[in-house]
Order: sequence, then C-alpha cells, then structure tokens
Amino acid sequence: MKKVKKIIAMATLSAIIVGSLAGCGSKASDSSSSSSSSTTKQKVTIIMTNGKGEITSQFAQAAKDFTAANPDIIVEPYSQAVGDTVPILDKLTTSGKTVTLAMVEPNAVLDKYKDFGVDLAKEKWIKDTSYSFKNPAGETTGFPFAIEGFGIVYNQKVLDKAVGGTFDPSTINTRDKLKELFDKIQATGVKFPVAYQTEPWSVANHYSSQFLNQDSDPSKVAAQMKAGTFDFAGNATWNGYYDTMDLLASKKYNMYGDRPLGTYYDGAHLAVGKGESAMLFNGNWAYDSLKAVAGDKFGFMPVPVDNNADNPLNNKIVAGPTQVFLVNKKSTPAEQEAAKKFLNWLVDDKAGQDFVVNKCQIVSAFKSNSNKVTNPLGVAIAEAIAKDKTVPFSTNYINAADYGSILGADVQKYISKKETRAELAKAFVEYYKTKK
Amino acid sequence: MIAEKRPLKKFSERMFFTFPTMLVFSITVLIPFAYGIYLTFMKMPNILSTPVFDGMSNYKAAFNDKTFWTSMWLTIKFVLATVVCVNALGFALAYLVTSGIKGQGLFRTSFFTPNLIGGLVLGYIWQFIFVQSLPAIGTKLGIEFIRLGWLGDEKMAFWALVIVTVWQMSGYMMLIFIAGLMNVPKDVIEASTIDGANAWKRLVNVTLPLMRPAFVITLFMTLKSGFMVYDINYSLTAGGPYNSTSMVSMNIVKKAFVENNYGMGQAEAIVLFLVVAIISGIQVYIGKKGELEA
Repeated sequence: MKKVKKIIAMATLSAIIVGSLAGCGSKASDSSSSSSSSTTKQKVTIIMTNGKGEITSQFAQAAKDFTAANPDIIVEPYSQAVGDTVPILDKLTTSGKTVTLAMVEPNAVLDKYKDFGVDLAKEKWIKDTSYSFKNPAGETTGFPFAIEGFGIVYNQKVLDKAVGGTFDPSTINTRDKLKELFDKIQATGVKFPVAYQTEPWSVANHYSSQFLNQDSDPSKVAAQMKAGTFDFAGNATWNGYYDTMDLLASKKYNMYGDRPLGTYYDGAHLAVGKGESAMLFNGNWAYDSLKAVAGDKFGFMPVPVDNNADNPLNNKIVAGPTQVFLVNKKSTPAEQEAAKKFLNWLVDDKAGQDFVVNKCQIVSAFKSNSNKVTNPLGVAIAEAIAKDKTVPFSTNYINAADYGSILGADVQKYISKKETRAELAKAFVEYYKTKK
Repeated sequence: MIAEKRPLKKFSERMFFTFPTMLVFSITVLIPFAYGIYLTFMKMPNILSTPVFDGMSNYKAAFNDKTFWTSMWLTIKFVLATVVCVNALGFALAYLVTSGIKGQGLFRTSFFTPNLIGGLVLGYIWQFIFVQSLPAIGTKLGIEFIRLGWLGDEKMAFWALVIVTVWQMSGYMMLIFIAGLMNVPKDVIEASTIDGANAWKRLVNVTLPLMRPAFVITLFMTLKSGFMVYDINYSLTAGGPYNSTSMVSMNIVKKAFVENNYGMGQAEAIVLFLVVAIISGIQVYIGKKGELEA
C-alpha cells in the first residue's frame, strides 16, 4: 500500500511539473508569435518549391546560402523530380503545408494558380525587367525566374560564307529576304540550308503559337480563341507563319523535304552543328544537341511572318519566362516578407545573381544581372533582352500539353501535305470548341 | 510412420514460403489493380482531389473515345502481324538450330541476345538505324527504298515497329520451341520414317501436333506482348508521324498523363485488360483442349 501511494504521488508531481512547463512553453510561443511583427529577432521559416528538377542541387545550395546571409529567415527548399507529372507545389499543399514561394510555369498562372499569388507590382525589381508575368486579373504575380526563347537557330560560319562577310541577323526581316539567303547558301555549295525537325512539340507548342504575338498582349488573342471569335483561316499572321513554314519545310531548301516527318531531331542538330546545313527552328536548349560538335558559333533570328520589314514580329525574337515565382497569398505577412527578400536577393545580391546565371545556366530576366551563360544561344537571348528586342513567349498563353498531343498531329499532317491549310484552320477551331 | 501435421502448421509452413512473394505481388499488382477499378467509378478532376462517385461515366467516355478505338484497331493489326511472323521465324530458327548443324550452340545464343536488350534501348538503336544508317546506305548505293527514313511514312513506320518486335521476340520463342522439339519422342519420329513419311509430312503430321503445348505458350506470350506494346512504340516512333502509330497503351498513357484525364485513361486500361484476358483465355482454352499426349 505504501509503495502504491509513493508511485501515485510521484506520478502526480511529474504531471504537474510537465503541465506547468507546457503552460510556460505555450505562453512563451504565444508571446513570441504575437510580437513577431515587432521583434526582428524571430526566425521565420518559409517553404520554397522548385519546378526545375535539373537544378535541384543548385537550388538547395541557394537556400543554404540565403539562410546563412539572413539569420532570421530559414528557407526550406523542395524540388520536383524530373519527369514527375504532379507538381511538387500541389503535393505539399494537399499534405497540409503552406508553400510560400512556388516556382510554376506561366501558363499555370493563367489557369490553375490564377488566384494563388500576391500582387508584386510595387516591388523594386519591377523596373529592372519587362518579363514579370500578369495573372488574368491584371495583377503582376509572377517573378520571372528563367527566360528562354526560340527562333531560327543558325550556324554563323555557314552564313558568313554565304553572305561573304559577317552575317548580321537583323538584316533578315522579311520572308523574301530569308528566301534570298537560302539561295545564297545553296550557291556556296550547301545543298540544303534548312534541317527542319518536325517533333510535335516543336511544330505545335512553339511554332504554332507564335501567331498569338500579333497583339502585344497575347492573352487577348487566347481569350478570342477560347470564345470562338478568332478567325484562323482569315487571320494574316496565322497564315503568314504557315507560309513561312512551307518555305522552311520545302523540298528545295529542307534536308528532309522529301519526307519531312520522321524523328530527325538528333540528325538535324548534328547537321547544323557540323555545318552541313545552315539553320533549324528550335530554342536556346538546342545548344545541348549542337554542343557535341561545338567550336562553331551559333545565333538566333526571328521567324519572318510576312514581307513587311517594319513588322515587330520580324525583328524581335520570341523570349519570355518559362518559370515564374509566386508568393502565396495564404502565407502570413512575415512569411511573405521573407519570400520577397529572397526574390530581391536573386536580383540584387551578387550570390543570387551568380546562382541564377552561372550555377543554373539560366538566362536572367533582369538587366542588372551582368553574368553571362556559357550557351551562345542563351547569350543571344540575353543580348536581345538588353536591347528590348523580344516578343512574349507565346507558348505561355496556350495549353502546351494539348497543342503537342492534339494539334501537333494536324500540323504534321499539314507539313506532309495530308491536310490543307483550310483543314488545319478547322482543326484549331474544333480544338478550341472542346475547351469551353 | 509419417506423423500427420496439424492443418494450421501446414498452412503456416506454406505461408512462410509464399508470404514474401504474395506480399510484394499484392502491393505492386493486386492492390493497385483493385484500386484502379474502384477509381474508374469515381470522378476526380485532378489527381489530388477527393473521389466522388460517378457511376459508369468514365466507361461511357472511354467507349466514345474515337482515338481509343483507332489505336485498338491498329494494335490488332500489329498483333496479327507480329504473332504470325514471330512464331513462324521462332519455329524456323528452332528447327534449324536443332537439326544438328555445326556451332548450333553459338547460333542459339546469338539469336536469343536481342531479347536481352530492353525494349527502350532497342527502340532507340533501331531508330538510329532507320533514320540515319539506312538512309545513308540508301543514298550511297542509290537504293530508293531505304533512302528516305522509314519512320516518316505511316505504313513504313508500322512495319518498322513489326520488324523490331520480331527481332526482339523471335529468339525468346525459339527457346520455347527448342524445348518443345526436344520433347517430341524419337520413337514416334522413327516410326513415321519407317512408315514412309518424308521430312515435310513428318513435320506437319507428327512434330507440329506434338508441339501443341509449346505453341499454346508462345501464342499466349506473343499475343500479350503485342497488345501491351509500349516501350518500343515510344522509343522508335513516339506515336509516329501524326499519331499514326500510336498503339493502345500509348493512347492510354497520353490520355492519363499528358491530357490529365485519369478517369478515362484508367477506364480504357481496364477495357484493354478485358480484351486481352478474353482473347488469351479463349486461345489457351482451345489450345489446351486439343493437346495430345504422346
């Protein structure tokens, strides 16, 4: 009996002690959280997600560097695995976590995440870039992280030989001038100036979305298409790009003209890299495939849509953000401030600038970032950004997955002459009808 | 006297040996399969939303999907082509390799090797052959037939797929046929020779009927792998010029993972499963019924 009493007494005492400590602890945390806005010594933890699996390790390092430089902020990075179809942001959100800083694709900002982000229009980096991304409500919620672009990739050596001097891409700003260039190239002995690869994502998502840039705000054209009021068959810009495609894929100038479809991606890049052909249509990532036979210089020029030399579409490369950062509306004000600090770090801090350009090999959207990537195509885009010679990345304003898997087949049929231009226009109309 | 074991001990002994495999099989095959069937009756706008009961609407959508039936018909044509070619070539190779020629062990190994190369790698190797090697040879020697890449034309891309599949599977079927040929009793063959049968009659009237079990197996395997083809399809043509060589598995993957229509994709997958199960079931049933015991 004595023993039991002793045990009960010990248990009760311990419970009281633990209870009072818990009370103290919660009181302490209550007081600290209520004073978080006034106390600067309080640590804020924010979760940051990365949608680019290829830069997972650099991303983790950047989080560490920023946290070391800002002792009152802890950044927890989560990266998406390459090839994972479910965005890491969604996974974390459904498991109950609040992601404060999320890297997402711009076309998702127009769709799935249109109400996700805080308006960043008053941030100081806004003036340093023209690539901030707006949501459908007109709020500037997207911080431009990665800039990419596409156009006609050309081999400088082959074109220098063709023009007999140094080739200047700005001289080719009409379709007729491009055709003349093709003839000049053929005259120097290069039988086929173009190595046109017809992967569905290339001909659909990239090439076939360029016509959206006929309005300086491509989302207006996208809205017309969804509403069913856009006349594809009658639109001059839409038709113009396909007229140029006829030229690029033609039997006379295209290496694969006799049978334009077929998996020619590797072959086309090898041909242009080695100088057996002069140009192809792709983006700055093409350099990875050209690199294998590097040593030559490569550059970008816009795809000419018509014969009007003053048409901005003929003089500017398509370039824009392919990844943007959003600051979560649902985070606490302290967390949002911490996230905004990180974005400023990416723009102003030397370490941040180094992370974006040198470590990740990503072209920066900000003129203040003087670092240069090693990819010459990336450098070409950076120079175009500096001179304001770009038009928006049109793929951001369409559903890329649908264009690739549904409309890609129709564009390929058009290229191999199995569909007429009118039927292709009809295919676009039918597709947008299903998107209502 | 053998002691009679209590039923529980017997059962627990059996479970001890089979439990690990059964556990892994359940987790990786049975449970996802059952969950998949459950999900086809649900509506889920995206993969992270809670399922809401929806009845047969996913199946209705799957049946109304034109691309599904086009790819199914294309796959049936593909299965017919590959089943005939693989079995014919496999049997021919097996017959040659057991006929007592010199170095037949080496031939056996080399014919079987293509099967060891995974489908994805195989597809990329053959893509290189069809797109770069053959056209290069065709250009040099002026052979028009192979000068233009086969993968750019819908009919030729189809036959390219058949060729690669036959190349991969014949070796494997050859091994099964070799085992079947070995099991044909020599005395029956001798008896038929004494009765005056020539080589052709021997083959058709004695060897082939006695090899029926082997044919049941090879037919089943070629049917199954023909219907389920994906890796070669993906790496060789990626659905081919304008989706013309998109087989049914590729169509399902596109529907579910690219167009994010998981409900319809899963329903189509169940339909495919039923089609293959019924066809193979009929084939094995008919095959086994006619098996002869020597």
